[in-house]
Amino acid sequence: MTLATRNAHDENRSHRFSVALEPWLYLSPALLIITSVLIVPLIIGISYSFRKFSAFRSEYVGLEQYRTMLTDDVLHGAIINTLWWTGGSLFFQFFLGLGLALLLNRPFHGRKLVQGLVFLPWAVPTFLTGLTWTWLFNPVIGPLPHIFYAIGLQAEPVTILANPETAMWGPIIANIWFGIPFFAITLLAARKSIPSELYEAASIDGASAWQQFTKVTLPFLAPTIAITVMLRTVWIATFADLIYVMTAGGPAGSTNTIATYIYVSAFKALDKGYASAVAVLLLALLIVYALIVIQMRRALMKDK
Amino acid sequence: MKKLTMTILLGAAFAALGAASAWAETKIQLVEVITSPQRTEFLKSQLAEFEKSNPDIKVEVISLPWGQAFEKFLSMVQAGETPDLVEMPERWVGLYANNKQLEDLGPYMKDWEEASTLGDRAKQFGSTVNNTQYMIPYGYYVNAMFWNKKMFAEAGLSGPPQTMDEFAADAKKISELGNGKYGYCLRGGAGAFGSIQQFLNNMNGKPGYFNADGTSTFNEEGSVKGLQMMQDIYKNGWAPKDAVSWGFNEIVTGFYTGTCAMLNQDPDALIGIAEKMKTEDFAVAPWPVGPSGKAYPSLGYAGWAMLADSPAKKETWKVMSFLLDNKQNLGWAKTVGVLPIHNGADQDEYFKTEQFKGWFEELSHPEKYEFVTPPTHLENLGVFYDSMVPTAFQEVLLGKKTSKEVADGWAKFLTEEQQKYMAAHK
Amino acid sequence: MQNALYTIGLYGAVFLYLAFALMPIYWTIKISVTPENLLYSEGIRLWPSRATLANYASVLRATDFPRYFTNSMIISITTALIVTAVASLAGYALSRFEFHGKTWVSLVLLLTQTFPLVMVIPPIFRIMSQLGLTDNLYGLIIIYTAFNIAFATFLMQSFFDGVPRDLEEAAMIDGCTRVMALRRIILPLTLPGMGATVAFVFTAAWSELLFALMLINSDSQKTFSVGLLTFIGKFAVDWGQMMAASVMALIPVCIFFLFLQRYLVTGLTAGAVKG
Repeated sequence: MTLATRNAHDENRSHRFSVALEPWLYLSPALLIITSVLIVPLIIGISYSFRKFSAFRSEYVGLEQYRTMLTDDVLHGAIINTLWWTGGSLFFQFFLGLGLALLLNRPFHGRKLVQGLVFLPWAVPTFLTGLTWTWLFNPVIGPLPHIFYAIGLQAEPVTILANPETAMWGPIIANIWFGIPFFAITLLAARKSIPSELYEAASIDGASAWQQFTKVTLPFLAPTIAITVMLRTVWIATFADLIYVMTAGGPAGSTNTIATYIYVSAFKALDKGYASAVAVLLLALLIVYALIVIQMRRALMKDK
Repeated sequence: MKKLTMTILLGAAFAALGAASAWAETKIQLVEVITSPQRTEFLKSQLAEFEKSNPDIKVEVISLPWGQAFEKFLSMVQAGETPDLVEMPERWVGLYANNKQLEDLGPYMKDWEEASTLGDRAKQFGSTVNNTQYMIPYGYYVNAMFWNKKMFAEAGLSGPPQTMDEFAADAKKISELGNGKYGYCLRGGAGAFGSIQQFLNNMNGKPGYFNADGTSTFNEEGSVKGLQMMQDIYKNGWAPKDAVSWGFNEIVTGFYTGTCAMLNQDPDALIGIAEKMKTEDFAVAPWPVGPSGKAYPSLGYAGWAMLADSPAKKETWKVMSFLLDNKQNLGWAKTVGVLPIHNGADQDEYFKTEQFKGWFEELSHPEKYEFVTPPTHLENLGVFYDSMVPTAFQEVLLGKKTSKEVADGWAKFLTEEQQKYMAAHK
Repeated sequence: MQNALYTIGLYGAVFLYLAFALMPIYWTIKISVTPENLLYSEGIRLWPSRATLANYASVLRATDFPRYFTNSMIISITTALIVTAVASLAGYALSRFEFHGKTWVSLVLLLTQTFPLVMVIPPIFRIMSQLGLTDNLYGLIIIYTAFNIAFATFLMQSFFDGVPRDLEEAAMIDGCTRVMALRRIILPLTLPGMGATVAFVFTAAWSELLFALMLINSDSQKTFSVGLLTFIGKFAVDWGQMMAASVMALIPVCIFFLFLQRYLVTGLTAGAVKG
C-alpha cells in the first residue's frame, strides 16, 4: 500500500468513526442525566419485585410475587379497569384536542386569549383537579348532579362517584378535561410547522378542504400524533393521583386500576415487593405497546 | 503583612466563638402529622414559650400533611432520616414500637413531677406494646353520638335513641321525612372501622377485637348481626346513597347541613359543628346500648413519642414533658378537640358544658359504657384499616358480598395477626 | 350564507371548548370568594350572596405562600430551560440520524416514563438523602429534569421531523457545518415546538406534587403544590383558602403561557423549500 492510499484509508475510517459518533454526541447530555438519576433507582425498584416486604424488613422470595399475581382477582379486575380508563380517556381527549388544534389554527377574534385560557386545565396540579371535579359531582356543593338529573341522565341527583357502575366516568371526565390542552397545543405547534405552500399547491390543484386535511395535514401530523398518543397512553396508564383523590379506587374496587393498586400495595399494605411486581407487569405491557407504535411511526416516516 | 495576620486571627477567633455558641445550642426536630394551620400555629406558640425558658434548645417543626403523613413519615424513617420527636396516632404505635424505632419513656417518667396527676389511662394506653411506655398520649378521642334536635322533632321523636334497635327505628323514621333527609351519617369511606367496631361489639355484647385465645370476635353471630344492621341501614336508604364513599369531612358536613340526623364522632368534630350549627339545634348523647344493655364506644388517642435514634434524648424529653404538662395539655386539648390526660380535667370551665355531657357521661358510667381501644400492639393494624376494610365494607354496603363473608375475612386476618403476636410475646 | 354558517360554527365551537375548560376553574374561583359559613348552604349557587376576598388575604398574609410561590417559580423555570436545551439536542439526533441502537435509546427514554413514580421514590429518596440533596430546591430540579427529558425529547423529535432534511443538507453543501445549520436554519423553524416544550415542562414542574412532598421537609423549601396540601387537615378542609391559593398559582402559568404565545403562534409564514 502506498502512503497516500494508507492515509486515505485511515482518514476514511476515522471519518466513519466520527460520523457514527455524531448522534451520540447530541444524545449524551440527555442520556447522562437519565442514567445517573433515573435508571439506577429504576433497577433498584425492579429488584424489589423479587423480595417480600413489610415496613422494616424484607426477604428474598424469587418469583413468588409474580406467581401470586397470576391468581390475584383484584389485579385482574384492575387490568380491565385500566383498559377502560386508558381507552376512554385517550379517545375523547385526542379527538377533542385535535379538533381544538384545528380550530385554533383559524383566525378569529381573541384567538390569542383563547389559546392561553384553554391551556389552563393542564396547568392545574392533578390532585386539585381531582378535588375540584369531586366537588362538581357532589350534589350538595356542585352543579353537575342537578344538571344530569334535569336532562334525564340520572334518576336522582347523586354523585356518580358513589355508584360502582358509573364511578369510573368521574375520573375519566376529569382526565379528558385535563388532557385536551396537551393534544391541542402539541398538534397545533406541529400543524404550524407544515409549510403553507403545500396547501397553496393543493388548492391550486383543486383539492377540497377535506382532501387537504387527509392528504396534507394528517400525513405531516402523523409523527407527532404517534408520539403524543404513545406518551399520553403511558402517562394515563401509570396515573394514580387523579383516581385516588376522587374515589380511592372504590367504591368496592370499581375504579381500581393497576396504578392505584400499586399505590395501595406499596403504601397501605406496605408490601413494596408486590407493588413492584405489578409495576413490572405494567412496564412490560407498556413497552410492548410502545414498540408497536414506534414501528408504525417508522413505517409512516418511510412512506414520506 | 502583620495587619493581615491579625485580621485572620481575629476572624478565626470570632468564627470559633460563633461555632462554640452554636455548639451549645441543641436542635430538636419535631414532626407533627395531624396538621392543620390552627394546630401548627398553636404548637409553634407553645414551643416559643418553651424556648424562652430553655434558650439552649431550638425546636424545628416539620409539618406533614395528614393525607400523606403515614407514607411520608414511613419513608423518612426507612431512609434513616429520623426526627427526635414525633406526633404519634395510636394506630402507628404497633408498627414503630415493634420494630424498635421508639424509645422507652419509662425511665424518663420516673423523675417527672407531672406524672402523678397523669390519668391511669395515659400510662395504660401508651404501653400497649410489650408493656413498655413507648408513647404518652396527649388526649383521647372518645366516640359519642351527635343528634340533630330539629330533625328528631320533625320526625316526632322526643329524644335520642337509647338502644341499637331504637337507633335503627329512628333512622328509618327520619329518612321517611324524605326531601334529602336521612337518619344516619354513615361513613363508608376512609376510616370507617371506628364505627363498624361499635356496631359489631354492641350487637355481640362483648368489647374489643379478640377472645383470650387470640381468635377474633368479628365473625361471631352477634358481630355479624351488627355488620348486617349497617348493610340494612344503607340498603334501605336510611343513610344517603353517597355515604358509601364518605370520609370524615363528608359525614360532618352531612350532619351540619341537615342531610343526616345522627353522627357518631369524637370531640374534634365538635369544633367544626359548633361553628356551623346553632347550639340549640344539636346535642351529644352517649352511644346507644346493645341487646346486652351495654355499649362499647371506641376510644382513640394520639400523643408524643421519642425516636430511639435521637442524638439528643434528654433535650427531647424536656420538650415532650413541657408539652404534656397539665397547663399546656389543657390548652392543647381545647385547641385540637380531645379530652385532656390529667386528672381533674372535667372540672375545667370549658369541659363542664352541655356539649361535652355525652362524652363525660360515657366516662363516668363504666358499668354501662366500656371503652374499646384499637389493638395498637399489632404491627399490621394499619394494613387492616387501610387496605382490608375499605373495599370489603363498601362491598357489603352495596350488597356485593354478604356480611358473613366479609366478617369471616376480617376475623381470619386479625386472628392470624393476634396469634402471631401472642406467640412471639409469651 | 356559507360564510355566516362557518362563522357561527367556528365561534360556537370555540365557545363550547372554552366553557368546558373554564367551568371547573370558574367553580374554583367561586369557592375562593365564598365566605366559609356559606360554603355548603350556598353550594349550588353560581355566585355567593356575599363574596369576600378574605381567603386571598389570609393566604397572602398568614401563610408562607409567597415563599412557596418563589420556590416553585425557580424550580420550574430552571427545569424548563435545562430540559428544552438538552431535549432539543437529543430530539434532533433522533430525528436526523439512523444508527445502531436508535430504537434502544427511544425505549430507554420511554422506560423512564413507564414506572409509576410511587415505586422509584424509595430508592431515589435514599440516594438523594445520602447526597444531601433532600430538603432543598436542587434535588427537585435534578429529578424534574430527569423525568421530563424523555417527553421533551420525543416532542422535539416530532417537531424536527416536521422540518424537511433538505434544508440543512442544502446549507451544508453550501459550506455550513451541521451545528451552524442547526442553529441558523433549523432551530428558528422549530421555535413553535420549543415554545410548546418549554411551556409543558414548566407546567409539569410547577404542578408536580409527589416528589416535592417526599423530598422536602422544611417550610422554607416547600413548593406551592405541597403548600396546598396543608389546607387539608385531618378534621377539616379549608376549601376557601385552598382554592384562593390555587387561583393565585394559576396566574403565573397563564402569564408564562401567554408570553410564549409569540413563539407558538407566529410559526412559519412560508416554507423555506422552494420548488
